[in-house]
Amino acid sequence: MEPQLTQRPALKRGCRLSTIEPLLLIPEGALRLQGPGRRILELCDGERSLADVIDELQAEYASAEPSKMSGEVVAFLKALAERGAIEFL
Amino acid sequence: MISPPQALIAEVTHRCPMHCVYCSNPLIMQSRENEMPTGAWEKIISDAAALGCWHLHLTGGEPLSRNDLPALVQAGRAAGLYVNLITSGLGLSRERLEQMVEAGLDHVQLSFQDSIEESANLFGGTRAHAQKLKVAAMIREHRVAFTINIVVHRGNLDRLESMIALAEELKADKLEIANVQYYGWAVRNRANLLPTRAQLDKSLPIVAQARERLAGRIRIDFVLPDYYAKYPKPCMGGWGRGVMLVDPAGRVMPCHAASVIPGLTFENAREKPLRWIWEESPSFQRFRGSDWMPEPCRSCDRKEIDFGGCRCQAFLLASNAEATDPTCSKAPLRQRLEQIVTEANSPLADVPPSGAWVYRIDPPVLSS
Repeated sequence: MEPQLTQRPALKRGCRLSTIEPLLLIPEGALRLQGPGRRILELCDGERSLADVIDELQAEYASAEPSKMSGEVVAFLKALAERGAIEFL
Repeated sequence: MISPPQALIAEVTHRCPMHCVYCSNPLIMQSRENEMPTGAWEKIISDAAALGCWHLHLTGGEPLSRNDLPALVQAGRAAGLYVNLITSGLGLSRERLEQMVEAGLDHVQLSFQDSIEESANLFGGTRAHAQKLKVAAMIREHRVAFTINIVVHRGNLDRLESMIALAEELKADKLEIANVQYYGWAVRNRANLLPTRAQLDKSLPIVAQARERLAGRIRIDFVLPDYYAKYPKPCMGGWGRGVMLVDPAGRVMPCHAASVIPGLTFENAREKPLRWIWEESPSFQRFRGSDWMPEPCRSCDRKEIDFGGCRCQAFLLASNAEATDPTCSKAPLRQRLEQIVTEANSPLADVPPSGAWVYRIDPPVLSS
């Protein structure tokens, strides 16, 4: 299911970022986060909408092409939703 | 280069108020007198994190039989670990739960023995079911991930649908339905526990349908009984590959059952550095990789998939820990398994369990 830009992505209960390594800890193990992965998830606080998350990332990574970045962020979050690590509120 | 462990299974005590007929604890348990104090556990937890572990699983026995669980949760979080409590729920008061959540507990795995009270209490050897229902509601009030675990077998596999309904009612994030694995006390009760092939066949579509119906709400793990498998399970993800278990007295092992294997000496984390135990100790090296493998494992194209199956099971079924796991269809001693499975499926065995259960008993108290 395609997430809407107005929805608010959030880590699911039982999933959190490691305070030590670039890892997303989940009940079954851990996922290693590369590139902006960690930053994306920090923004997924259940308060910001998906549109807000993309806007903030675009401001922070000014050199990235906007439409490409937006597609990559959505794909990344969808993949994590399929793993049960993210929900869209 | 030996890759680091991902998970530390901390078997903090063997004491338990439950007496489950399939308990995976060893038949010879550590008594309370041999249990390590808080400080020793804290050091092991921090050393395991330094070695590369991500997860700390606090288990037992019933881990809540110790009164220092909040301190151990705290130690796990301080070391950067994901902390999971595996519990029967007995002894979990609101106050203790709040202390642990405050200390950073990430996940609680609560066991049920069945979906209906009478038989749950029979299989658990304790009147615990009603209390577990209360504990489940209490857990759900806190921001902690919640998994319900139900061990299934001949005596309850037919109630799979009501078990799934129970997990929905209790609002679990995940339901783990695990067929009994035949180690420890379960071996003693195998004739009463091993399901029939018909029961198993019936269970598969029920799980598949529930997964579809509950997608996005409750994840369902289903652990198949390997006695009915074509290939063995990759036990613990391979010997000394991803998991280290520390028993109540500090002995470090590759799995729950390894103490059944004769001739292995397990090092103690209070006496030797954890890194050396993981990387170099003879017990961890013994079945690591594929050099130890006999044929047909050695030249099998699945040797990096199932890592030769389970060494403890090989010992329990074939009396030889080096043998090909008899749950493998290619195993020379597969016949031993076939015989057990045939008996379980014979019309004569198709009667309700006789009730002659062997219950797990607590470790004896050593008098001084």
